[in-house]
Amino acid sequence: MAVDERERTYHHPVYDFMMKVPGLDVVTTTVDKLLTFGSEASLWIFPVATSCCGIEFMAMAASRVDADRMGAIVRGSPRHSDVMIVAGTITVKMAPRVKKLWDQMPEPKWAIAVGSCAISGDFYRDIYSVVPGIDTFIPVDVYVPGCPPNPEAMMHGLLRLQEKIRASASGKQTEAEKRPEPIKHQRLPRLPIIGDPSRGTELDRQQIASAASLGWWDELNLEQALEDAASDSDEQDT
Amino acid sequence: MKLRGADNTEAIQTLLEQRFEATANPIGGPPVIGLGRHTELAATLRDEYEYRIFGFVVAAHYPPGPKDPPESPDVIRVSYGLRSVGRGTNLATWQLCVNAGDAIPSLVPLFAGADWQEREQYDLVGVRFEGHPDLRRLMLSEDWNGHPLRKDYAIDTKVHPWR
Repeated sequence: MAVDERERTYHHPVYDFMMKVPGLDVVTTTVDKLLTFGSEASLWIFPVATSCCGIEFMAMAASRVDADRMGAIVRGSPRHSDVMIVAGTITVKMAPRVKKLWDQMPEPKWAIAVGSCAISGDFYRDIYSVVPGIDTFIPVDVYVPGCPPNPEAMMHGLLRLQEKIRASASGKQTEAEKRPEPIKHQRLPRLPIIGDPSRGTELDRQQIASAASLGWWDELNLEQALEDAASDSDEQDT
Repeated sequence: MKLRGADNTEAIQTLLEQRFEATANPIGGPPVIGLGRHTELAATLRDEYEYRIFGFVVAAHYPPGPKDPPESPDVIRVSYGLRSVGRGTNLATWQLCVNAGDAIPSLVPLFAGADWQEREQYDLVGVRFEGHPDLRRLMLSEDWNGHPLRKDYAIDTKVHPWR
């Protein structure tokens, strides 16, 4: 049903003023800012919800907390998505799958690690089959600690990601979020995270090859991925 | 002997002890059956006593202890449980005791539900089930080395390139 403009009851002094003065209802901006606004206000989520954090993630996407009002809707395909939210423990068997899904997402893309397990493995960290944090194989932008974090905390993570996107588009120097420190008694294992100077290129190559060996070689373009990994780490070295 | 809703624990015990020569378990638990009578016992319980549901198969690895004679072999104890619905006692259990590395006849020809459970025990403890149609790893990745629920598995074994 169409709304008759004369029956509109919404009034705001600024809005009324803008409507009255000719020319004020046109906004000028830069293309860059417009695109940034577009990407920060339409963060489509690809969920990797492998355990209990996934339940809280569902609560975040559902009506009470409602991530939809930030433009963050949940998609079932990595090729439609901008943000990968990893909520849950990632095992050694799951890790190449996650890496492969991450490689299938189009740029620009971001990753959020939700919960202790995705951040560092937490108390499953010493178990033979658990990966000690997803930042050992994909670059993480925002860490949301908690076990599990409540939906509001995840929402705050999304807002922090939006802030980060805004800041990086306006050329501000922003400090990368640091991985929260694990508890002292944990001793095993220490795989260097992405961005760690001690991390060699060989590890990148092995992880990419492991993910690619799951199938669909042509689509992933392994050679290109290996070259990219090598050049990325060269840039970091210099 | 078919008894609706009655306690047939004693009947099962008699069956195990007299017909299948079960011995008492030295470390506690279900009675131990010889490897040769294993498939026959499962078939008897299924056909004559109506234990038609495959309950569980659980394997545990026992390395030789300090009191055992030197150079005694590693032992794997495999417990089986069958369930019945509506007839007699709910659960019938028995155990096999084999040296590590020995093959055990698979129960998949008798119970289709044994398929993934035997695969899991093969994956984690390394029990070989002879006659299993598709004995692959179930939970760990395909290229895993070793069986992590064995007592001699090193916890800091590297799983390249993820750990």
